[in-house]
Amino acid sequence: MSLVSRTLSGWAGLGLLAVLSLALLAVSIGAGVGIGELAIPPSTTFHAITNRLGWTAVPLDKIHESVIWDYRLSRALVASLCGAGLALCGAILQSLLRNPLAEPYVLGISAGASTGAVSVIVLGIGAGAVTLSSGAFAGALAAFLFVVILASGARGGADRTILAGVAASQLFNALTSYIVSTSANAQQARDVMFWLLGSFGGVRWPEFQLALVVVLIALAICLFYARALDAFTFGDDAASSLGIPVVRVRIILFATTAMLTATIVSMVGSIGFVGLVVPHVARFLVGPLHLRLLPACVGIGAIFMVLADIVSRIIIPQQVLPIGVVTALIGVPFFSVILYRARRAV
Amino acid sequence: MPHSAVARWSRLAATGLILASGLTAGAAFAGPTSYPLTLSNCGVDITFSKAPERAMALGQNSAEIMLLLGLEDRVAGTAFWPSKVLPELAAANEEVKLLTVEIPTLEAVLAERPDFVAAQLLNLLGPNSTIATREDFANLDIPSYLSPGVCATSDNVADVHGSRASLWNMDLLYQEIDELAQIFDVSDRGQELIASFKAREAAIRERVAGSDGDPSFVFWFSSPSPADDAYLGGKNGASGFIADLLGGHNAITTEAEWPTVSWEGIVAANPTVLVIADLDRNRWDLDKPAAKKAFLTSDPVVSQIDAVKNGHIAVMDGQAMNPTIRTIYGAEQLVDQLVGFGLIK
Amino acid sequence: MTIKADRISWAAGKTVIVDDVSIAAEPGKMLGLLGPNGSGKSSLLRLLVGLRKPDSGQVTLDGEPIGQVSRRRLARRVALVEQHATTDASVTVLDVVRLGRTPHRSALSPWTSADDAAVEAALDRVGLAARRGQYWQTLSGGERQRVHIARALAQMPSEIVLDEPTNHLDIQHQIDILRLVNALPVTSIVALHDLNHAAMFCDRLAVMDKGRIVAEGTPEAVLSEQLLREVFRIEARIEPSPYHGKLHIH
Repeated sequence: MSLVSRTLSGWAGLGLLAVLSLALLAVSIGAGVGIGELAIPPSTTFHAITNRLGWTAVPLDKIHESVIWDYRLSRALVASLCGAGLALCGAILQSLLRNPLAEPYVLGISAGASTGAVSVIVLGIGAGAVTLSSGAFAGALAAFLFVVILASGARGGADRTILAGVAASQLFNALTSYIVSTSANAQQARDVMFWLLGSFGGVRWPEFQLALVVVLIALAICLFYARALDAFTFGDDAASSLGIPVVRVRIILFATTAMLTATIVSMVGSIGFVGLVVPHVARFLVGPLHLRLLPACVGIGAIFMVLADIVSRIIIPQQVLPIGVVTALIGVPFFSVILYRARRAV
Repeated sequence: MPHSAVARWSRLAATGLILASGLTAGAAFAGPTSYPLTLSNCGVDITFSKAPERAMALGQNSAEIMLLLGLEDRVAGTAFWPSKVLPELAAANEEVKLLTVEIPTLEAVLAERPDFVAAQLLNLLGPNSTIATREDFANLDIPSYLSPGVCATSDNVADVHGSRASLWNMDLLYQEIDELAQIFDVSDRGQELIASFKAREAAIRERVAGSDGDPSFVFWFSSPSPADDAYLGGKNGASGFIADLLGGHNAITTEAEWPTVSWEGIVAANPTVLVIADLDRNRWDLDKPAAKKAFLTSDPVVSQIDAVKNGHIAVMDGQAMNPTIRTIYGAEQLVDQLVGFGLIK
Repeated sequence: MTIKADRISWAAGKTVIVDDVSIAAEPGKMLGLLGPNGSGKSSLLRLLVGLRKPDSGQVTLDGEPIGQVSRRRLARRVALVEQHATTDASVTVLDVVRLGRTPHRSALSPWTSADDAAVEAALDRVGLAARRGQYWQTLSGGERQRVHIARALAQMPSEIVLDEPTNHLDIQHQIDILRLVNALPVTSIVALHDLNHAAMFCDRLAVMDKGRIVAEGTPEAVLSEQLLREVFRIEARIEPSPYHGKLHIH
């Protein structure tokens, strides 16, 4: 069922796909930089970038230059990293939990982040020294730890882990609701809930740097375990009998995905569908073996998110549609096509 | 005088004004602004070399203050309007470009090439805003101004627990009017506006001074449905202020700004007057006063509370329940109705 | 010396599943594990390959306690073929057989010709070389079992443990697989359901009932009408078959 293996053979095919994805990503980021509410001529766009890189010194409108470099470029790059990261987490979790519906928030991360965020903003925990992002991050990790304990370490089987994740999500969502409804400032509560819907509006270059580091490290770790992940194809016992230290691998990979997801959620809120759908698309294109699947997820996730962000910015004039809405609107039809084809091919 | 001293002087004068309640204009610092003007706003120093000509108002309250100060020809655009503009400002508002009634995008704001941005709320301008932070505008040499009411560093604002420990009052609004007036070099108009608000405040207090009793109020903002808990104005918020102004108190004792209370709780509070909000938006059926009244008079339990039985149901603009300039308008709306109820002589 | 279990017991919660079992495989021979459902066969197999730790007693591989053998080294020696190993992933036959090389490769090592050779040999052995590109979902039950066996063979083990490999297969495949396993030059431990097959193919038998070994030895020594009556609760007759010379139950 792998499209690539049906049409092109082996490494040549994958190489072509890699080049194609990089090109597509570059084009998408270019589009993300060039498209926006402010009408900026392409030459200004181009020179804004070269100016800031120090290659040229063309005099430009200050606002245009700033919009291109400080907002659109950083935003497009962060979007691509978040898309890549979420898709990577989704793929890992779907393999480890042997569940095609697993996605990055299945371990309660998003719910925990919401609790952390409201604790900081509404309850004032941290007394102003802690930012909303740090609070969200701490909350996400707390939820993850809760899941780990509830699923009895990584010894718990896939089903038990999923149930623990459901329990954690329910618990932390309830905590968030409790804090929001008893504590008051309606404005603050609304702000936090809106933030949690997901948005790239607040990201600048510092977020890019953080995201780059975290995504690269996580990718390196996941690629290192790509073969081990293949061994999980037939379950934990099968992997163990093939010599994989199952418990250790699960701990490391769960922790890695948790950290990556927590970082992304604390930066841009929870953006759904990407982590669920992109791995399936990637599998459809390059097959289930992880040495190909993981890079494919990264590439497709990045392109998908950048394009979704562009759509969210231009589809309604003067407004930004929440990115989660766009990813769902695009994701669902895609998913349906995949499912339909998969049924037919079998 | 050195610039910081000018700022200090003007603040001192404003404080003096506020302390001397009941006094009008008099020795107010209403002279022309001396530029460059430096102000400290929410812990950030902002400097103006001249009066802004293309200001951006993010938030209805900030926009309405500017319009009240007659600055419509110097406002390049406004955004975020939860309700309709004050009728008296409608004509002036027509001349100002409306970006959107929702939260605008940064690019839309920058497209107007503003030279000054004033924001009402932190989600419009702040560290967690999806539009921009103050640094973003500072990097483009655009001074930004946050309503003093939402500064995290101010003492008079909702404390860290998201509730108000002490009753809100108009002081922060007066500070905002005064500072904005200075920025635009219309201090005299600013002082006039402040004085007029103070006079109105005083007039209401005087009006109710003759009456006895300490009426209790419940301010009902809206509910998703009659069965749901109602969104009320909290004890120390703008609603509490209105109640105090009218010589009474808010029957709700929780300090949360927007508590949700069940009808059982409202019945138990047994207020003297039930104030129902009139909202411009159309989210819930109960947004409109007619629907609220219908529920109040038809529900078997609620219709038995004193306020409903005695017909002490007053209608007020919902926007007044937000701590803005509309609050005083809301209080005025209620005075006549209270006279009608015989609660004010 | 191969796999040996010395008085091992294992309980899941309060229920004792494997009760004081001692068993040893013979190098190069096929050991059949029989017993009614719930007798503890699957659990015993998992203990023998080191997937579970016994609560008491010891499993050794060539005299070395199996717990002390590293996972990878163990996987290079012992291969397990499970009863119901399925997947939803669209893996091909080749992909699955290649998984068998996992214990021989570290995370960073490239694919070598030795790996290729092992995979080819395994595919040939099970007769699926021509179908290496076929997808898992399109394979029949019997073919899937053969793929698993090929995967196990790719591990180049000296011991191969199979848990009811003939379940849900039609008769022709059942015989094929057992014949295949029998012909393998490795030591094999097979849990079986069908007594006749056990009699036909195994060199030695061990019978389990309620977690204990109740009989052990050659098929001739073990299979008796009394055993059938007590353990399997059936009335039957046993006699050598005129066709293959082994015992036949009917």
